[in-house]
Amino acid sequence: MTTHSSAAGPAIRTEGLTKHYGSVPALQDLDLVVAPGEVLGFLGPNGAGKTTTIRLLLGLLRPTAGRAEIFGLDAQAQAVTAHALLAYVPGEAGLWPSLTGAEVLHLLGRVHGRVDTAYRDELVERFALDPSKKVRAYSKGNRQKVLLIAALMTRAELLVLDEPTSGLDPLMEQAFRECVREARRNGQTVFLSSHILAEVEAVCDRVAILRAGRVVEATFAGPVPDLSGVPGVAVVEAHDDRLRCQVYGPVEPLLRVLAETHVTHLIIREPSLEELFLAHYGAEPLLTAASTKEEATSHAR
Amino acid sequence: MPGERDRLGSQTAERQDGPAPAGAVPAQAVAAARSGGRAGLVIAGHVARQVRRGALVWGIVFGGTVASSALAFASAYPTPAARRALVASLGSNLGVQALLGPARHIDTAAGFTAWRCLVLLCVVGGVWALLASTRALRGEEDAGRWELLLAGRTTRRRASASALAGLGAGLVLLWAITAVLTVATGRSPDVDFSLSASLYLSLALAAGPAIFLTVGALSSQLAATRRQAAGLGAAVLGVAYLLRMLADSTPSLSWLRWLSPIGWVEELRPLTGSRPTVLVPIALLVGVLAALTVHLAGVRDTGAGILPSRDTAPARTRLLDSPLGLAVRLTRPVTLGWAAAVGGLGLVIGLVANAAAQATSGSDMIRQFYERLGSQEQGAVSYTGAGFLTVGTLVALAASGQVGAIRQEEADEHLDHLLARPVSRRSWLAGRLAVATGALVVVALTAGVLTWAGAALQHTGIGLPRLLLAAVNTLPSATFVLGVGTLLYGLAPRVATAVAYGVVAWSLLLEMVGSLLKLSPWLLDLSLFHHVALVPAADPRWAAAGILAGIGLVAGIAGATAFDRRDLAAA
Repeated sequence: MTTHSSAAGPAIRTEGLTKHYGSVPALQDLDLVVAPGEVLGFLGPNGAGKTTTIRLLLGLLRPTAGRAEIFGLDAQAQAVTAHALLAYVPGEAGLWPSLTGAEVLHLLGRVHGRVDTAYRDELVERFALDPSKKVRAYSKGNRQKVLLIAALMTRAELLVLDEPTSGLDPLMEQAFRECVREARRNGQTVFLSSHILAEVEAVCDRVAILRAGRVVEATFAGPVPDLSGVPGVAVVEAHDDRLRCQVYGPVEPLLRVLAETHVTHLIIREPSLEELFLAHYGAEPLLTAASTKEEATSHAR
Repeated sequence: MPGERDRLGSQTAERQDGPAPAGAVPAQAVAAARSGGRAGLVIAGHVARQVRRGALVWGIVFGGTVASSALAFASAYPTPAARRALVASLGSNLGVQALLGPARHIDTAAGFTAWRCLVLLCVVGGVWALLASTRALRGEEDAGRWELLLAGRTTRRRASASALAGLGAGLVLLWAITAVLTVATGRSPDVDFSLSASLYLSLALAAGPAIFLTVGALSSQLAATRRQAAGLGAAVLGVAYLLRMLADSTPSLSWLRWLSPIGWVEELRPLTGSRPTVLVPIALLVGVLAALTVHLAGVRDTGAGILPSRDTAPARTRLLDSPLGLAVRLTRPVTLGWAAAVGGLGLVIGLVANAAAQATSGSDMIRQFYERLGSQEQGAVSYTGAGFLTVGTLVALAASGQVGAIRQEEADEHLDHLLARPVSRRSWLAGRLAVATGALVVVALTAGVLTWAGAALQHTGIGLPRLLLAAVNTLPSATFVLGVGTLLYGLAPRVATAVAYGVVAWSLLLEMVGSLLKLSPWLLDLSLFHHVALVPAADPRWAAAGILAGIGLVAGIAGATAFDRRDLAAA
């Protein structure tokens, strides 16, 4: 690892970052700071400007106003230096159809300049990728694996991931989450744009939600009011024999409590993005909407 | 493969659009689903809309070429003496016939028009048809859009037949516009074609595109990618052209004409003793190719071709150490294809140069013809100089193709992978342009060497250095096209490819019209090729060549600067 990151300030900093296409605003006044070593989940509905933000950070788009920095380097003017410190996984995998997976990994590794080849081979194993196949013969999920491996194998200081697990099966999603946890342990910064809450919750320290181009921040693992005495349970509704609650963070404490009762029915589901927004924008809807991450129906005997 | 995309998460587990149990579906819905007629109409309409603009433009070009040839004949050769001289010169000029087809009755407006238009438009229209049909029948599938259509109420066979119908509608549009313009031209008293002769001519002009539309459709079933399909179709077109070229320039080989579909189009002989019976084999060929297309579309897997293609390959990483090496690797097959095509043309030019010169020796007419093109020489050298005009046009077209390839890298979002890594936009574009220039040099030099080889076999006595000079002489105009294309790529990437081809097409059009009519020098100056000396039949015009290349260079640098400042733009 280079020592660049520690000295130069936040991994990502944007100030009033704005992008308009003609008169259509795609992103409005985004202020965002991602500290080194942090794993940030970047959430937002379709069309909120998540991909636009990432393409601005990479210097692939030119901002209408505002600026962005990567480790203190200007994302536009010093893009080449900044790119040596980051690795990027796009959500849409348009790769050269005539190259094989191995050839793409070789090329992208050489272009990046720094590759942990042992880790690369391990990643190919873990993601169960057949690198001898041509890109055109890969399924979408397999193309996505190539791009993930190409980014992770560099062990870059900053990983910029734009919906990186689209097309991956659940097993590979698990492998991906493990890789992100490893990256965090190694002190790498991760910027994970996603619409899969379970994924964000599983790996991220902090979540930024992009709506209408503005960010509201919330902390998942922080202190949450605990009405029933179980850590992480935010809201509890009890009717007769039913119990409904919302849990932030790990669910094990709640399960441990529930295991001591006689549970006949247990449903766990993740809230929709809309529900999450409601949870962030007002306490009122939180109670009325089915805004629970965790919904348990327990019949006490 | 399709299973992968469904596993996006638990939320999609209960999909409602899967096949429902038969008992739950009303009989009415099943009956409606079985008919599928509307789905076919939708596909045909979609394809027809796709080709509509191209058909319109080429219909106007076809009609315009007929009109300009016929009207130009009337004004350029007004007297019987002038027309006799024309027959004496071009009528027996095997070299010119090798390029344009046999000259029959060229002392009449009818014969002259048919001779000028038939083979030329057959090839031009054939290229359009190949691109249009491979786009509709393989390009859509390549891009993953075909599956969306197939998921609708249709089958692969029906969908392909519908797409063919849509292409056919485009062809009918092209024919109709050509027919209207031809009939209008024929009513001019100087030209005087009968209505039936005009309609037959426009039918003969549409025959080439019809054949290559179905050739492209069939190659789209055989090859697994659009590029391979277009390449396969282009190879058929090239072989067909070379066969008829040999047949028309070598009397003892005239039977070869019957092996080439372009030869069949020649044998339709519009305006010069029509042979409508030749329409029968053409219609049969089109029908068989279309039927084969529909049949194979039903037999093969979606996304795959009939020809075996390897899905795995050992890694060849020799070139893949930098964006520059990648560009070399991706450009190599296209470059070899162009080199083969342009080199093949050069070889034939070299082979027939002597015969062409002997057939026309002593003709004032032909000497004037070459002098008007700028020839300072006589005989075989003069013919080779005219031939290199065609070589130069093709090299310029290859430059347009390079502009298209550069834009495509960005449109397909392949470029993102490089520019998101430590690669600057300028260094990428500079390297990519260097590779493009290298490709053009290879294509031009191949043409020079193979022309020399053909000429040497016939003991023509044109030296290799002179032909290499002729090859190099084609490069300034190609550099101009590359530079102007790059400028547009920087400023307005979505139109860059069209403008790069447009510059060449415009120049070609001006040259064709200008060789018949006395256009104003101001207008002729707007043609790229007007500034290119007729090497080897004349000395290079270094100043003009330097200015063309210089403009290209400056435009290229300006384009690179603009590219550095703009957003990347996907397709």
